[in-house]
Amino acid sequence: MGNVQLSHVSKRYGNVQVITDLSLDVEDGSFTALLGPSGCGKSTLLRMIAGLEEITAGQCFIDGAEVTDTAPAKRGVAMVFQSYALYPHLTVRQNIAFSLSIAGAKKEQQNARVAEVSRMLQLDQLLDRRPAQLSGGQRQRVAIGRALVRDPQVFLFDEPLSNLDAMLRVQMRLELAKLHQDLRTTMVYVTHDQVEAMTLADKIVVLDKGRISQQGTPLELYNRPTNKFVAAFIGSPAMNFLKAHVAGKQGNDVSLTLPGNRTATIASRGGNLSESEIEIGVRPEHLRLGQPGNGAAFDGEVRIVEQLGNSTLIYVDTAAGQLIVEGEGNLEVEPDEKVGVMLDTQKAHLFGSDAQVI
Amino acid sequence: MSAAATDTAPAAATMSPRQYRLIKALDIGGLIATIVTVIGAICWAFPLYWGVITTLKPEEDVVKPGFQPWPEHFTLDSYTHVIFGTRIGQWYVNSLTTSIAITVIVVIISALAGYAISQLKFPGRRILWWIILASFMIPVPALIVNHFVLMSQFHLINTWLGVILPQLVYGPVTVIIYKQFFDSVPKEFREAAKIDGANEYQLFFRLYLPMNWGITTALAIITFIGAWNQFLWPFLVATEEPMFNVTVGITQVTDAFGVKYSRDLGSAMLAGLPVAIVYLIFQRRVTQAIMLTAGIKG
Repeated sequence: MGNVQLSHVSKRYGNVQVITDLSLDVEDGSFTALLGPSGCGKSTLLRMIAGLEEITAGQCFIDGAEVTDTAPAKRGVAMVFQSYALYPHLTVRQNIAFSLSIAGAKKEQQNARVAEVSRMLQLDQLLDRRPAQLSGGQRQRVAIGRALVRDPQVFLFDEPLSNLDAMLRVQMRLELAKLHQDLRTTMVYVTHDQVEAMTLADKIVVLDKGRISQQGTPLELYNRPTNKFVAAFIGSPAMNFLKAHVAGKQGNDVSLTLPGNRTATIASRGGNLSESEIEIGVRPEHLRLGQPGNGAAFDGEVRIVEQLGNSTLIYVDTAAGQLIVEGEGNLEVEPDEKVGVMLDTQKAHLFGSDAQVI
Repeated sequence: MSAAATDTAPAAATMSPRQYRLIKALDIGGLIATIVTVIGAICWAFPLYWGVITTLKPEEDVVKPGFQPWPEHFTLDSYTHVIFGTRIGQWYVNSLTTSIAITVIVVIISALAGYAISQLKFPGRRILWWIILASFMIPVPALIVNHFVLMSQFHLINTWLGVILPQLVYGPVTVIIYKQFFDSVPKEFREAAKIDGANEYQLFFRLYLPMNWGITTALAIITFIGAWNQFLWPFLVATEEPMFNVTVGITQVTDAFGVKYSRDLGSAMLAGLPVAIVYLIFQRRVTQAIMLTAGIKG
């Protein structure tokens, strides 16, 4: 069992409040990603779980036992650092066996465990090398091996892929996913890369300025963001936002006057609508190019076209500002072309002035 | 232009390809720099050469008028006299014992102190650090009288301990260097080791010290050389001939036999020989250590 529970935790450095009254449940066996921009407190939160940072207020529980003031070594956690933190003067074998050696385990026991872990991570041929002689991916596997050998209840990852090149990152992502499937151990994973979070995690916790902005499954966050911050942060390219005037409301359906004086009716989620000026959020893949005219939500002019192979990103200047439209990979469109932008009203979101979804 | 081309053409045509390549490869600037540095090296090394050949000459040849760059007669009299006619063997033992003891104790204490100031949080840490830095301003000769009185009160005059103890505090630089190096160890290593269950002793002996083994070697060598070459304190605290170290002993050779250049230089050569050997073997580490201390004092 390795569930993690944070209860009303706060962290302050002097007068600077980094984490504010945060409560979080990480289920046993889950892969939970802490996602957010730099400085949002995700690494601090991870380090508080690890015991490397003191919790200013609140409590931390691992597997039901309070560990708020417990030393890191006694919490049943293992951590993989962003820089891997492999001991440079030790071989791969010694690095992996370090915690066992510290604990006074017999040589035979150490060797057996190292052999088991190295086989799992394909490090057998590298055991006598030093970290300086390894590639980035190999070092990362050694760091994982060092964590694995402790047989922890909770794995903690602090942006472990950020030092790798793009291709290696994809490869290691798959290996991490496979590792989680094999071990089914609780993993808490810090990243600023939403693609990593979306592809690896069962649950994503989006942090903003030390508070949880939203938590849920990747598709929940993607399809039903509850606030503008999550809507903008999740998804690449980012969601388009445009201002609109509320013309009327019937039930949950809101009639809107768009910039350029076209109209659209978009369903709200039943929230309180008291403002006349709101924002519409719509993802690029939910916009479509067509002929300019009354059939389109906006008329515009193509500014930039980016061919990605599997898709095309078109930057269109409209009365609502520049909109990003994602089209098919073989879409033929040229800059300066006059186009109409169609809006899928079923997929659009409404946000009030408080940046919360309506 | 065409005239110049025609002027050089006949000259190049008379030169062999090998000669042409040689002249082209000749780096005039480099040649001048080489000549200047060789002259400098000769000037620097000449006194050493002169000292060595003087020790190999009979005494009467040394004081003979005229310049004798190469001995007419070779003899090892000066060395045999110093080795068999003085207590240089005992002095060597004293120097070796005290220098090694000082080196080992200074390195261990400095490493531990540097680690504590760098990595541990305790009340007064900052004040202690400033005190160590401030101790640079106290010249060693200013402490000599106090040290002598203290060693006398502890009845340590003419003992190895009396020679060793005051020299343990001659240079806070080793503490400072260790502190700087331990500061530069990324904190992730410490955190990873803490998660692995290491306590502070294990962190020090299994992580910080091994990761800084190079600097430990460099500081040990330079501490050893410094301790071996010490004169003032050993001269004061060791008043009996059997307790002299080598640097003090060779001055006694001079006093006992008057000015005998060959023998005096012979004793000086024997005194400096171990340090010269250490330096030759570990010169890279010595240079590294000197650069570090110069960086701190600079």
